[in-house]
Amino acid sequence: MFNKTLKGAMTAASMLALCAGAATAQDEKHKVFLSMSYIGNDWQAEASNMVKAMAAHESMADKIDLQVQVAGPNAQRQIQQINAMVQSGADAIVVFPISPTALNNVVKNACDKGVIVIAYDGEITEPCAYNVTIDQTEAGKVTAEWLVEEMGGEGKVMLLTGVPGTSVDAARTAAAKEVFEDAGVEVVGEAVGMWSQAVARTELSKLMSTRSWDDIDGLWLQVGCYTANSMQLEAGRSAEELLPCAGEGSNGGRIQMLPAGTEVEGASGAYMPLGARRISYASPPYSGALALKLAVSMLEGAEVSKLTTLPLPVVTSDTVQLCETGSWEEMRDGCNAFLPSIVSNPGWFASIFSSETPEVGLNAALVGQPEL
Amino acid sequence: MNTQSMTGQPQGSIPRIRQDLRRHQAVLVAIAVFVGLFGLTNAISPYPLTYFDVSFMASGGMTLALAAMGQTMVILSGGFDLSAGATVSLVNVVLATQMDPADFEANVALWTAIGIGTGMVVGAFNGFFVAVLRLQPIVVTLATMFIVQGLTLLIMDKPGGFVSPSLGGFYLGDAVPNLLPASVLVIGVAVLFWVWLKNTRYGVSLYAVGSDPAAAEASGMRRMLTVFLTYTFAGGFYGLAGVFVSAQTGSGDPLVGNSLLLPMFAAVVIGGTRLGGGRGGLLGTVFGAYILMIVVNMLLTLNISAYYSTIAESCVLLAAVLAGSMSKDSPLAQKLQAAGDYLLARRGGLLVSQREQVDRRLPFSAPAGGARVAQARPASWWKANASTLRYALPAYGALLLVLIVTQVTLGNVFNNFGYWNTLLVLSAFLAILALGQGAVILTGGLDLSVPWTIALSGILVAGVVQGSDVALVYAVPLVLGIAVAIGFLNGLGIVALGLSPIVVTLAMNGLLQGAALLWSDGTPAGFAAPALRWIMTGKLLGVTPVIPLLALFIIGAVLMLGHTAFGRRIYALGNSEEAARLSGVKTGRVLISVYILSALCAALVGILLTGFSGQASLGMGDDYLLPSIAVVVVGGALITGGRGHYMGMFGGALLLTAMQMLLAGTSLPYAFRSVFFGFVILAAVIALRDRKGG
Repeated sequence: MFNKTLKGAMTAASMLALCAGAATAQDEKHKVFLSMSYIGNDWQAEASNMVKAMAAHESMADKIDLQVQVAGPNAQRQIQQINAMVQSGADAIVVFPISPTALNNVVKNACDKGVIVIAYDGEITEPCAYNVTIDQTEAGKVTAEWLVEEMGGEGKVMLLTGVPGTSVDAARTAAAKEVFEDAGVEVVGEAVGMWSQAVARTELSKLMSTRSWDDIDGLWLQVGCYTANSMQLEAGRSAEELLPCAGEGSNGGRIQMLPAGTEVEGASGAYMPLGARRISYASPPYSGALALKLAVSMLEGAEVSKLTTLPLPVVTSDTVQLCETGSWEEMRDGCNAFLPSIVSNPGWFASIFSSETPEVGLNAALVGQPEL
Repeated sequence: MNTQSMTGQPQGSIPRIRQDLRRHQAVLVAIAVFVGLFGLTNAISPYPLTYFDVSFMASGGMTLALAAMGQTMVILSGGFDLSAGATVSLVNVVLATQMDPADFEANVALWTAIGIGTGMVVGAFNGFFVAVLRLQPIVVTLATMFIVQGLTLLIMDKPGGFVSPSLGGFYLGDAVPNLLPASVLVIGVAVLFWVWLKNTRYGVSLYAVGSDPAAAEASGMRRMLTVFLTYTFAGGFYGLAGVFVSAQTGSGDPLVGNSLLLPMFAAVVIGGTRLGGGRGGLLGTVFGAYILMIVVNMLLTLNISAYYSTIAESCVLLAAVLAGSMSKDSPLAQKLQAAGDYLLARRGGLLVSQREQVDRRLPFSAPAGGARVAQARPASWWKANASTLRYALPAYGALLLVLIVTQVTLGNVFNNFGYWNTLLVLSAFLAILALGQGAVILTGGLDLSVPWTIALSGILVAGVVQGSDVALVYAVPLVLGIAVAIGFLNGLGIVALGLSPIVVTLAMNGLLQGAALLWSDGTPAGFAAPALRWIMTGKLLGVTPVIPLLALFIIGAVLMLGHTAFGRRIYALGNSEEAARLSGVKTGRVLISVYILSALCAALVGILLTGFSGQASLGMGDDYLLPSIAVVVVGGALITGGRGHYMGMFGGALLLTAMQMLLAGTSLPYAFRSVFFGFVILAAVIALRDRKGG
């Protein structure tokens, strides 16, 4: 009995010592916060997984202590959150900004206290913030140009935009419309797609209720090509007749782009190779992980430019290639689509490769595990 | 300062003070909760709170507090304002686009006046339709919300613009350095303004109109002017909130106010204002807003997973409302008392149901005999259903108009079966929701838990079936079973705890959101079974299989509401709960059943939506809450209950869907569509207007 108690006490004491040790180790680590927006969509979940994987990578794990907080869709809350992070002694804050402008004052306050603020995907317009993003105007332009070329420079297109009132949507849509106008391509229908496959289905149904797929020559859908292809198949069109579609970078779309008849493990329904004519692009979910990496390098004294523009992750039907395992090395060699048996969700974002982030691969995006 | 102004002058006797305490119980509870939470934050915070923290917290919650104050006034008058968040955004973009980017010293008073003025114009617009035309506030403000959102996007289609730093310097700075933040001063001035307003003739009639409009009018109060002024003042508060958010962010964002709407109602209710009007005040609301904000802060400090944040907020909402309404004569206490009495009576063998089962009918209540009924000449069908037709037909009339316009502008309507097929498939979601939401509205309630009941059901069904048809056999009953439980809890909260349906279902929505996030771990997995997809997207003899099912659903819905005892009880309850209870209707049971029905309908929509898009996503229900209310009202139902026919609601669902299809087909910018959509809803309710005495 006594022995047991003694043992217990000793264990407790050694644990205390361990904790104390851990605490002192933690004190030496940089305190880094991640302020995310909404958690309830695939993109955010992947981005957050990749950031966590980056933080867990052996090159990072003993340098930083990462805490993740989610603000939801509310900019007011993100303002409060960032302030709370500054107050609790953050060295760097990685942020997915809900609004490019609403955070300016609180970010300025953070900068003044010597905190590094680095935004990914969205931009923060406050000059002291660092931004990691793709050029959304370029994205709209490149995809529209591809579509015009696929259509032979003429015909009718339908558009599905993103969330109205956001900078990303405004930039992409304006750039694409300019291309269509210059080329003389007619926009015959335009609906708000909210960057959601479910909304895309409803809106495309509305658009198609008074039209036939034969009346249209091309589709420019920020999110919805996967759904549009399913709908065309349901309407009785064959895989060869699918309209060229410029749209999202989801894995479902990438699999559809593979030549019809390709053997793919786990394919079912519309989630199968169709040889669809596509250009596939998206804001890449690795941007958060890269932002974290940049923040850490700044904490270690490196110079980083205020604006990091990521290469536009564009994949076309000609460049699509299936991955076997999804390791970073394999992606470096050019693969960009993943087996449905591994990625069961067709809406999952496939643009996860960056030459800058060898720490994270498919497992990082799926389950938050870094590469070895 | 607060306790003094709340308990009044000390000249009253002790019973007077106790009475005052009772009257202000909810506000006092809100203040106590706030103080407690503040202390707790201080205790768990890793360092003592400084003046800077307090100042930052004060300004952090201020936008919500100001907007919620405006909402409180509307609610005190017996109304409901859905356009509040949109108005905040509008003022924000007006300021951000109109200010001169070179002027760093813009006049604070002038721009504050412009902001408040803009808000008041929107408020006056609401006020005109609600007060002068006597339209239902919830529909008017819903229409205004769409119009204002559209205008906001027309003024500014993406975040940007410039707000002079002088505004930020003033509102975020110090009134007295290191003692009084300017934001606290502004709130204080707003509260003082309210205290003054409350004691004017207008203030007295505001409470009177909110308690009983007919009685207020009978005692010579000018209802119309009072209501009009209320919406205008409320608009002014939203305007000030917009000015503040502009000062805080230094720029414009057309979406900034959208997420304020639900927290605003929570703040009002936590602050002790009763939904339905006549009781409460703006001071409580201020504390309600800060309670919500401090809870979020605590979650941040404790680093609790964000999955729990909506759950925590819902619990605070429920706890605050319950604590505010606790008393000897609260419904919960009465229910417990009644249950005790029941047990006692049962033990004593005194219950009516325990008496001998003999026929005790009085002679005159004997059935009159079939013969007499047959003799009476039935009124013509048109005459007998005149009032139903009067309210249900406008939706169909408008539908015809929309169809003709679609035919003219887009073509391919009347000669194209595909159009009708799409119309019916897309209407199916709203038509099903209309039964549940409609039944709830018929009883005088409102079900705000629809969005996340849809999403949770969709996510569960996709996650459980994982694309297998066989699994549907148990997945669908499982999901419907969960829906029954959700509806039962909603109903129980309303009946047993005596809480407002809006509070209970709003809290339920938050709980379900948390549940959906936890269950799916942030990303819903799995996809719909092929059979489910076939129902929504396949073809059976040329039509989508869901259409014949929808026809059966409609027949069932009409029969249930119009030709069953349950249906009649729903209407009875909506017309007068007290009268229904005295006529022997077990009101509690009916209410609970209605919320179960609503949850079942929402779950069905979740399942069908998953089949339609092949997958489930977390936000999939968000787009269905306001339309589900709109179709019921556009279909001729009265938002206060008791009036409405299911065929009218179905017409409303067809009308809204047809209009969306028309707008989607045009190349009008989204902003115009939103404005247009708002005006059509407004036009529809004007057509449905009660013509009292005319």
